[in-house]
Amino acid sequence: MGGLGNNFCNLPSTSSEMTCGSFLSQQQRTFIQMRTVLKVVDNSGAKKVMCIQALKGKKGARLGDTIIASVKEAMPNGKVKKGKVVYGVVVRAAMQRGRCDGSEVKFDDNAVVLVDKQGQPIGTRVFGPVPHELRQKKHVKILTLAGHIA
Amino acid sequence: MRLEKCWFCSSTIYPGHGIQFVRNDAKIFRFCRSKCHKNFKMKRNPRKVKWTKAYRRLHGKDMTQDSTFEFERKRNRPERYDRNIAENTLKAIKKIDKIRSDRAYDHIKNRLKTGKIQRQKQARKQLEQDIHLVKAPLALAQDSSLHLPKITVNVSQTWTEENQPMEE
Repeated sequence: MGGLGNNFCNLPSTSSEMTCGSFLSQQQRTFIQMRTVLKVVDNSGAKKVMCIQALKGKKGARLGDTIIASVKEAMPNGKVKKGKVVYGVVVRAAMQRGRCDGSEVKFDDNAVVLVDKQGQPIGTRVFGPVPHELRQKKHVKILTLAGHIA
Repeated sequence: MRLEKCWFCSSTIYPGHGIQFVRNDAKIFRFCRSKCHKNFKMKRNPRKVKWTKAYRRLHGKDMTQDSTFEFERKRNRPERYDRNIAENTLKAIKKIDKIRSDRAYDHIKNRLKTGKIQRQKQARKQLEQDIHLVKAPLALAQDSSLHLPKITVNVSQTWTEENQPMEE
């Protein structure tokens, strides 16, 4: 009975145009590669990072992979400053990732959690939903910090 | 394993099908196929899209309240496996499904009954008015029913071997 219980007031109802909608829905989502700007969803101090290298993967990083990134935008007093090169774990990716039961998941945006070389998160909180693909990648610490697990 | 419902059309999503979209407020939208997914991306309201279950239930086309729906409620407590219970549940599922589909069918039949009666009345009226188009007035004078008279045709040529055309 999913259809009846759905509260549509969350999404704004547009009176407008099919043309604008059809343009948007044809966006093809791809990997996270060099120059991709990602949102930072922990309280390490950075706000936006730009990917400079995807470790593992010829075409780029996906959900759950680690990347090397450069901090582009940061909060004035935080653990990381602008221009620093950091490691990060992709916790939300707009590109769909296949799950082992055959279905696919995708998120609304691209987001990272900054980690150190050993894989431990620098911040102490994580905002927003995270996938449970991280468990297989051994990022258990991030899962414990997370609010929602998708 | 859990059988989910599509957010847009309310059909069941079997394992291995569909896409799950997680919004940043942690609300999960599941879609059974790309048709529903694309409609969602277009920001269409399922209550206004004619072929979805949401529309049909809202506009009274399909059955809304029935005791058989209680069996399908989502339960989050896992049950300890018991062979007897599992066996009985499987038998019950079949029976309940049959009952529910019969009731849904009756609901639709009832809904369409008035239209059917109206169409029959109109057809009868038309027949009474326009019977002269198909039945000669002499025949109508002889028997005033609305059926056409039966005509018997005598076939003169018999179907024999010689009369058959040459087949290529």
